[in-house]
Amino acid sequence: MNVRKKWVVAAATVATASLALAGCAGGSGGGDEDGTSMEMWHNSTTGDGKEYWDEVAAAFEEETGVSVKMTSIQNEDMDGKLQTATNSGDMPDLFMARGGGKLADIVAAGVVKDITGLIDDETNEAYGETPFAPFTVDDAIYGMPVAVLPQGMFYSEDLFADAGISEPPTTFDELGDAISALKDTDVEPIALGAKAAWPAAHWYYAFALRACSEETIQDIASTLDFSSGCWLSAAEDLEEFAATEPFNKGFLTTDAQEGAGSSAGLVANHQAAMELMGGWNAGVIGSLTPDGEPLADLGWFPLPATSGGEGAPTAMMGGVDGYACSVDSPDACEEFLNFIAQAEWQEKYADAFDAIPASLDAQGAVEDPVLTEMMAAYNDAEYIVLWLDTLLGQNVGNALNTAVVDMLAGGGTPESLVETATNAAARG
Amino acid sequence: MTSTSVAIGAVGTRRRRSSRARTGGASGWVYLMATILVAVCIGPVLYVIIGGFRTNAQITLDPSGFPTPWVFENYGGVLVSSEFWVAMGNSTISAVATTVGAVTLGVMASYVIARYDFFGKGAMYSLFAAGLMFPATVAITPLYLLIRNLGLVNSLWGIILPQIAFALPTTIIILVPFLRAIPRELEEAASIDGTGRLGFFWRMVIPLSLPGVITVGILAFVTTWNGYILPLFILSDPGLFTLPLGVQNFASQYSVDTARVLAYTSLSMVPALIFFSLFEKRIVGGLTGAVKG
Amino acid sequence: MTSPATYAARTAGERGTGGGANAPSPAPRKARADWRKRGEIALLAGPGILIFVTFVIFPVLMAAFYGFFRWKGFGFPEDFVGLDNYVMILQDPTFREAVMHNMFIVVASLILQGPLAILFALLMNQKMRGRGLIRVLIFVPYVISEVVVGTGWSLMLQDVGAVNSFLEKVGLGAWQQSWISEPGIAMGTLMFIISWKYIGFAVILMLAGLQSIPEELYEAAAIDGATFWQSQWHITLPLLGPTIRIWAFLSMIGSLQLFDLVNIIWGQYIAATAGTSTMATYMYQNGHLAGNYGFGNAVAVLLFLISLIIALTYQRIALRRDTAGAVTGDSGRKKS
Repeated sequence: MNVRKKWVVAAATVATASLALAGCAGGSGGGDEDGTSMEMWHNSTTGDGKEYWDEVAAAFEEETGVSVKMTSIQNEDMDGKLQTATNSGDMPDLFMARGGGKLADIVAAGVVKDITGLIDDETNEAYGETPFAPFTVDDAIYGMPVAVLPQGMFYSEDLFADAGISEPPTTFDELGDAISALKDTDVEPIALGAKAAWPAAHWYYAFALRACSEETIQDIASTLDFSSGCWLSAAEDLEEFAATEPFNKGFLTTDAQEGAGSSAGLVANHQAAMELMGGWNAGVIGSLTPDGEPLADLGWFPLPATSGGEGAPTAMMGGVDGYACSVDSPDACEEFLNFIAQAEWQEKYADAFDAIPASLDAQGAVEDPVLTEMMAAYNDAEYIVLWLDTLLGQNVGNALNTAVVDMLAGGGTPESLVETATNAAARG
Repeated sequence: MTSTSVAIGAVGTRRRRSSRARTGGASGWVYLMATILVAVCIGPVLYVIIGGFRTNAQITLDPSGFPTPWVFENYGGVLVSSEFWVAMGNSTISAVATTVGAVTLGVMASYVIARYDFFGKGAMYSLFAAGLMFPATVAITPLYLLIRNLGLVNSLWGIILPQIAFALPTTIIILVPFLRAIPRELEEAASIDGTGRLGFFWRMVIPLSLPGVITVGILAFVTTWNGYILPLFILSDPGLFTLPLGVQNFASQYSVDTARVLAYTSLSMVPALIFFSLFEKRIVGGLTGAVKG
Repeated sequence: MTSPATYAARTAGERGTGGGANAPSPAPRKARADWRKRGEIALLAGPGILIFVTFVIFPVLMAAFYGFFRWKGFGFPEDFVGLDNYVMILQDPTFREAVMHNMFIVVASLILQGPLAILFALLMNQKMRGRGLIRVLIFVPYVISEVVVGTGWSLMLQDVGAVNSFLEKVGLGAWQQSWISEPGIAMGTLMFIISWKYIGFAVILMLAGLQSIPEELYEAAAIDGATFWQSQWHITLPLLGPTIRIWAFLSMIGSLQLFDLVNIIWGQYIAATAGTSTMATYMYQNGHLAGNYGFGNAVAVLLFLISLIIALTYQRIALRRDTAGAVTGDSGRKKS
């Protein structure tokens, strides 16, 4: 399964901060200076994911004698905490990196270790070049990918069957029919956890992916210029789609992945039929079912195609989760990154998180039907675009996310959405 | 209203013997009003406490029901978890240290403002009073950088020192009138006995201002105990979390487990409630600023 | 900020700086005594001033400094942009909305909580069984932390939460609402929660104020044949004046700086959408979370200035008669 995919990422740093200045902020976060212990921040606060990291830490210590202190940080708090740590120069040795502009932001601060020459040959062999693209800033690699997380629709096969939907929709027209059919059976057609904003924004990105050409998206991170008409028409498409009321009631205050009342929880408890989400969602849904076991009838289909637009109909959006080292971390840090890149640990990762591992060697071991479906679509995609908010970085990304929620709530228009993104670019 | 809700002893003081209820007995409607009031205040809190005795299935099926049957695992589970006790310990250390620090420094500074005459006294008072306008939120970024430069990030000192600083304005504003109200005759008598200003401070001022000290102490304690934004920025190590962060962390870790989150939340309220109940009378008394002359 | 009646006469009307309400000790002044006094002042006030200036004043000044830069929060700010940040903030409709929300909260808090707090304090001051217990119970919301309040209310107010389910049970199913997310309703929900949480504090203050009203006045009024309510109107309210004004001042400052509750219940993003955003949440979102530290600090400065202007105006108008200015530095004198 040698996936050679093209990631559309343009992580251009507007590196204004001189490294010398950032270098003043010394001190490695919590780890000992002699490199016998390190601190790591990951975003798995529950169950299998958390256990996986504890297991990795134990195995790594056994092999190298270096202990890794694991700190789990709630996903919604992660970016803010990293931001704070970046400002203070008090970074943990190892931390989660989402790639794109968000990574470029902190690379510009001079707090991330360049690992270009520190990746083992075995790792390069097992990974290929592709997964490193989102972690590449100005031709240097700053992060080790662990999972590929394409966006798509997670759905309940039983609820689809109840509504008489035989085939997963492939176009937005078919999706509209499915939504009407589902409404007739009294389930919420699509779960949306807009409280955290980004899940709602995923819908906008999806329409932008279809409306904008590959080049436009390629350039957006460096130009931050939203004047191309496709950004506006994507917002109009979303507004039109939202007018059909496809989302669950009270979606504005629904959490994305916390508790039975969250959007993933609604799917897990058969109260909603679909959710547009990144590749990690199978694991989240599984943890929220009444018995805490994976949802038996969970299915997956790629984002449907639209009738118009300049984007490739098979283009996908997605993310790559990875881990990076802080600039003053000990050598054990890159050892750890290479350690978790081994096929054995990548396979365990795929199991624990129900996600597609970044390592091509480990991808062969994926058996889960949902993941298989996802990988097939990933292999067929003409190109992959990193989540727009990740690509654009914290500042414009957050503003865009908020503007999408605002529009869905009726507090904004497609025009004001584009304007908000433009204004945010001026602030940073 | 931020966590720095403050009280001020700007309450008219005339000497009264003690707090006495008005005559004119309570009629039925007084009890009715009181009952409604208490129900509104306590209802939501009871919901949280009782919710901790239910199972998640019960909560999902009937959000506003009573436990059927009552289960004790949630509370049991929290009480045996080290996370809870660690957070409880951190909150206690942080609140006690902050209270002691704020009261000690506050009494000293208030004494100077209240009983000394010197150039710049008004400015000193204004300086502290202006602190009321600065919630920790305003200066959180520079404050974080400062604490980082002092090497106090991820240590309880990193929250205690700023908390003391942010508690000072309230403390001083309440204490100054108290200290000013101590009759001058006492001071004169003391100075005739050959006691200096400082001696007078230790022997007379501290005991006489006790009601005020208790009031500001409790306010500082409750504010710190409930503080949220400062610990959120300064502490990233779960081993140092205070209870509010513990509640949030717990709520996300056991997000599926609403009942357990409710149990943890209820237990985290207990210490502040007990503390407050014990001193409630003193607070009202202290604010009234009745100085037994 | 009062002094007992013995001082009232002497302190009344004194304004300006310095003039102490307490004459210096009668010991003859000598240079040595002067130095000693300075030493004592330094010893007593020094530590407090040091801590306060370090952790409150200095960071605030730094915030003002950073507000003139375009700054990502690392390294030393170099990109000086003058007042650009302020221009951007003031032109941002989202910020203006946040200010309007703050103002609404200020006014609504005063109107809702003030009369209720006085009423409850009167109630709590009646002779009744279990008064001590009732008092403790109505202070409960004030004592529990914002995080707990936010977590609890969020759960109860969800669309499938306890409040809607309760309404269903008592036959008021038609009253069910999306209490948190419906833009027209969210602000009402927030006001209810704020009032619920903070009224206990207002009641404490009012109770303390009531206790300082001499019993004899009521007795005299009763002899003149005044009803209970007449006494309250003619005696209690005027004499509670200073307490009410101080409470109002604190309430306003608190409302202007509201952050915790909104952030916990509405999350980081939808407060603006639901119509409950405040200046502090705007700052947190567009400054801290977005990594625009220069911009965020400029918002902080505006928040401070707005609070200060309102505080000073209020003091000039209302507090002047009875107190010091917390801000004008007129250290705590008052006509009783």
